[in-house]
Amino acid sequence: MVPVASSALASPPVLARIAAGEPEAIRECLARYGGLVWSIARRFDPLDAEDAVQEVFLDLWKSAARFDARLASEPAFVAMVARRRLIDRRRSRGRRPTLEGGELPSVADDALDPHTCAEAAQAARALAQLRPEQRQVLVLSACHGMSHSEIAERTGLPLGTVKAHARRGLLSVRSALLGVQQEEHP
Amino acid sequence: MTPPRQPAADPRVIELLILRATTGLTPAEAAELESLGGAGDESFDLAAAAVDVATVPRQELPDEVAQRILRAAGARPAPGGPLPVTLPGVAPPGAARSRAAGGPAPVTPLAPRRRARPVIAWSVAAFGLAAAAAALLWAPRAAPRVIVERVEVPAPLATPPSAAAARADLLAADAAAQTLPWTATADPAGQGATGDVVWSAARQEGYLRFVGLAPNDPKLHQYQLWIFDKTRDERYPVDGGVFDVGADGEVVVAIAPKLRVAEVALFAVTVEPPGGVVVSTRERIVVTAAPAS
Repeated sequence: MVPVASSALASPPVLARIAAGEPEAIRECLARYGGLVWSIARRFDPLDAEDAVQEVFLDLWKSAARFDARLASEPAFVAMVARRRLIDRRRSRGRRPTLEGGELPSVADDALDPHTCAEAAQAARALAQLRPEQRQVLVLSACHGMSHSEIAERTGLPLGTVKAHARRGLLSVRSALLGVQQEEHP
Repeated sequence: MTPPRQPAADPRVIELLILRATTGLTPAEAAELESLGGAGDESFDLAAAAVDVATVPRQELPDEVAQRILRAAGARPAPGGPLPVTLPGVAPPGAARSRAAGGPAPVTPLAPRRRARPVIAWSVAAFGLAAAAAALLWAPRAAPRVIVERVEVPAPLATPPSAAAARADLLAADAAAQTLPWTATADPAGQGATGDVVWSAARQEGYLRFVGLAPNDPKLHQYQLWIFDKTRDERYPVDGGVFDVGADGEVVVAIAPKLRVAEVALFAVTVEPPGGVVVSTRERIVVTAAPAS
């Protein structure tokens, strides 16, 4: 079991109720996850967040029946749906990532939030094991959607180092979620 | 027969899955991932989502945006405008997490295995009722599509049924559920063991029942379930999780398959180090159960 001390983990699922056609569940879902989706969208593309969030929630209503509590927590599923839409929108528009404020983000240990869901707790633990520059590259890649060359350009790190950090970082988090030691791949 | 490409072991598939989870794929790359058989693996997407959730600075959804979404969804905004307030992505304190409607009963699942071991080729596994000895190569299993450890929080008003009760419920609810008796191998731990495995393919839910299986010391070793799927390469059985047997030798445990099992070929229980393994040496197969061919 994951030792996560958070009431957030105890949230009754709402997506199944949406899939069942319960109208009130839509408002409840928006109240519960609106902030999360908005925050992810604002970070991913601050110039496009309003329209993107609307599309994300429409996707969510449509895909609510796909949610399986045995495979992922509801917040993690919502985040996955949101990210897919955000990535698709950016690709279809050919937009480059925009960093709000123009500054490279750093993710300090005390900024990690393990309380939303089990996956976040496991990710936070895995991120805490990474060096600051590895963590920064992973966040720029996974959360801001920056390409490796864009990250190399912005951070001054060699491209090969950026690729290695992004790859190993995501593999570390994935291994933490799978509950296995990190697999090494060539 | 050429084994299917395994997404977790193919560097190109991993590269494409990482790209999909971060910056997205071009149509050509998406087609390539599909052709390599890796498109169904969502574990990297989930990992990236988990990083996002764990690191994103939280902001509240502006009310005007929320109202616009509700209008688009055809829902009537709440009187007075603002939505019920909760922290973004955070549930009300004290609420209990429960399963989605139609999901399996909240019994204690088999624990996920923790440790990885080196790949070891080996052969000869008992195949239960048919008593067929088959040489089975062993290699790293496919990456689960999406696997996370579950956090069980008791419901506030209802006591989750025991695994035995859930097993009975499953048998009552799914007439097509299979009940397969265990066949003990020559391993000492399985000598005299009886019982069965109940499996519902439709619900992807099942239960193991043992009588007379040797008690184990979890500090020394644990039992681990493997599910062989006829639609998958036999070298890559689905990890069914680990479990323990108490002093009385009787136990009913829920199966927690890490992947969807399309068509069961064999259930097999091995003895493994504490926490289970990713790759079994299959040195100690204790019992097996297989559908009649």
